[in-house]
Amino acid sequence: MEIKQDKPVATPFKAARLAVSAALGTLNDIYYKELANAKQQGKPVVWITSMTPIELVYAFDGIPFFPENYAALCSSRKVAEELCKAGEARGYSQDLCAYALCAFGIMFENKGAFGDPPPAPDVMIATEGACATHPKWWEAMQRHYKCPMIMIDAAYTVDSETLAQRHKAYYAAELKEAVKLMEQATRKNFDMDKLREIVSFSDQASALWDEIDAMRAAIPTPISQIDVFTCLFPLVTLKGTKEAVEFYKQLRDEVKTRVDNKVGFVPNERFRLIWDLFPIYHNMRLLNYFAEFGAAFVTDLYGNAFSGRVDPSDPFGSLADRYLSFFMRAASWGKAELYKKRAKQYHVDGIVFHANRCCRNFTAEQPDVGAILRDELGLSSMSFEGNMVDPRGYDDAGVKSKIESFIEMLEARKYPKK
Amino acid sequence: MMISEFQEAYRNRHKLAEGWKKAGKKVFGYFCNYTPEELIYAAGFIPVRIRGSSENIELADAHLPGICCSFMRSALDQALKGQYNYLDGVVFPKSCDMTRALYSIWKKNIKLPYYYFLPVPGKSTDAAVDFFIEELRLFKESLEKYTNKKISEQSLKQAIKLYNENRSLVHELYNLGLRDNPPLTGSEMFAVSRAGLVMPKEEHNAMLRKLLPGLSSAKGSPDGKVRLMVAGNTFETIELLQAVEESGGNVVIDDIDIGSRYYFSAVDENAEPLRALAERYLRKVPCPCKHPAEPRLYHMLKLAKEYRVKGVILLTQKYCDTHLYDRPWLESSLKANGVPVLVVDHSDTGWVGGKFKTMVQAFIEMVG
Repeated sequence: MEIKQDKPVATPFKAARLAVSAALGTLNDIYYKELANAKQQGKPVVWITSMTPIELVYAFDGIPFFPENYAALCSSRKVAEELCKAGEARGYSQDLCAYALCAFGIMFENKGAFGDPPPAPDVMIATEGACATHPKWWEAMQRHYKCPMIMIDAAYTVDSETLAQRHKAYYAAELKEAVKLMEQATRKNFDMDKLREIVSFSDQASALWDEIDAMRAAIPTPISQIDVFTCLFPLVTLKGTKEAVEFYKQLRDEVKTRVDNKVGFVPNERFRLIWDLFPIYHNMRLLNYFAEFGAAFVTDLYGNAFSGRVDPSDPFGSLADRYLSFFMRAASWGKAELYKKRAKQYHVDGIVFHANRCCRNFTAEQPDVGAILRDELGLSSMSFEGNMVDPRGYDDAGVKSKIESFIEMLEARKYPKK
Repeated sequence: MMISEFQEAYRNRHKLAEGWKKAGKKVFGYFCNYTPEELIYAAGFIPVRIRGSSENIELADAHLPGICCSFMRSALDQALKGQYNYLDGVVFPKSCDMTRALYSIWKKNIKLPYYYFLPVPGKSTDAAVDFFIEELRLFKESLEKYTNKKISEQSLKQAIKLYNENRSLVHELYNLGLRDNPPLTGSEMFAVSRAGLVMPKEEHNAMLRKLLPGLSSAKGSPDGKVRLMVAGNTFETIELLQAVEESGGNVVIDDIDIGSRYYFSAVDENAEPLRALAERYLRKVPCPCKHPAEPRLYHMLKLAKEYRVKGVILLTQKYCDTHLYDRPWLESSLKANGVPVLVVDHSDTGWVGGKFKTMVQAFIEMVG
């Protein structure tokens, strides 16, 4: 006779706010104030792609600006749809990366997340380090803003074993070339000692992030995936500053206290999951919907994409190492290997794939990554379609019903009725 | 020599390749026009371009999300169906994000004896050329190890010469399009040139040598067709060019990755072979996956003038990011230079001829 499982029931709860949230808010405010005042203070505003070594920007006293991060902000403030539509009205396809589409909207409409647009770039730096589309997007913006653009070529490899000295040497040479171009564009002299200091802060922030990341393996897991995404801001934008290091010390201490006291963010943790990959900025609460069934995300790779150890005694060499060994460049089996390790270390029951409709680069291999994890570890998975920034076409009810079925399946596997 | 023979060679490409295999030859697949085919040829293989098709996708959807381009989905589908089983190896050069991703998807799901991923720089600076020379040397070494046979400088130079001959013969063909009344239609030109992607170059050369003399002396009929350029992505649907012809137009020149961007620049036969290859592949008319993009616009403007076109059909494959980023800029730049543009969204699978024809008719009426 077939044994019927009970339907899982969602139990809404209020997650405890991290005490460091206040400090994070302050860092945010200071950053956006500095960005707004950059021109008056004679600081260059440098628009960069993710995986651009931000350390170079701070070495020139610049204020880094990530259009990607900013598009995420626009999305969470519910203005992304309008901006994406404005990008489309100028001929950019809705199929393009919604970060880019949103940035095009900002560029053409001269609007921003809080009304005013972000300050125009004095220099722009792009690299293929994450996506081959980044330079394309930057070229399009450069034609509009007409400022100098630096392209740091990142020779692509697909396996960590094929990443060789020659790739690093070429990349390090590209960085040195970028320094020369930055000197011309900012009319400032490069200072190696300053770069060493920035690289040291960058390394300390990454080391702390890794420490926090490792503590998520605790049962119950101490912080939510929303906390992780929210607390990424300093690692993305302020990496290389002392402030970021101080923030992550506080966060590390708070997370450690929770772990020591066995405090989890979900009241009753029943399932432990991996999140792949992009957040859904217009609907972050979706992550909590899992938690309502006692399912906690205990690890992800998105956050770790922004952490990477570097060495002040060899800034260029270690930056080359760090940015070229970026895991998203790995082939499906390389990514699966990382998840396999984590699945064990973090005692994982399943993986959730956010098939980000506007991102072919990091969605294409999801079916294979899922297949490897299923075949080799018997790991359950679910996949759903969304768009990280643009809410159009997102089927909230459909996604939630998928989540319920997934939880039901996990329940039957982990807690079978006798 | 009939055009239909070229057409047949392309249509039967899998069958022909299976025949070569039975005859003891080795066949090597490659993606994208950033693969230095000369090296593969010199290593004793027949290089064939991996192509899409207009057939329905059956097996690929399980491995590749539907938001990826129809070319990659279709190529993977053919491979999953076993249509590429004859390949002795395949190389993926780094161009767009999809070639990177599909390397791993093919390698995991399609059993072939040899896979190679070739890092290609994103720029064409001197440092990039030096870096690429080293990558070509390593690719050469890898091929030598696989075949257990050295690629001599002599054989590499011969391969370069053969490929240059092919480029120059196809260029002669393109030159026919410069005439007021070209002896070939755009779809015929396309059939002849794309056959060269999937057959041994010496055979393609021989066929071209038979075809060209008759054409050179032929007088095209003054048909009053409106001269057009097709630019953008690669495509399979030759019907698209026929639809242009049926609508009173004729594509006399192209800017696509298997057309002028593939055939127009030669390799320097007097330079050291690997350097000559590196320079040619990095400094040819760039595809949109390379930086900077401007040389391609200049190429298009130059061709538009030389071939006296009345307009450009800017064809973008759905979900092709790099082309989609350039599209608004190319459209406005061409228009600013007095060249009318018809923007078309294209997909080889599920191509709707009627819709395209209506758009093209209206465009031809406008510019003609």
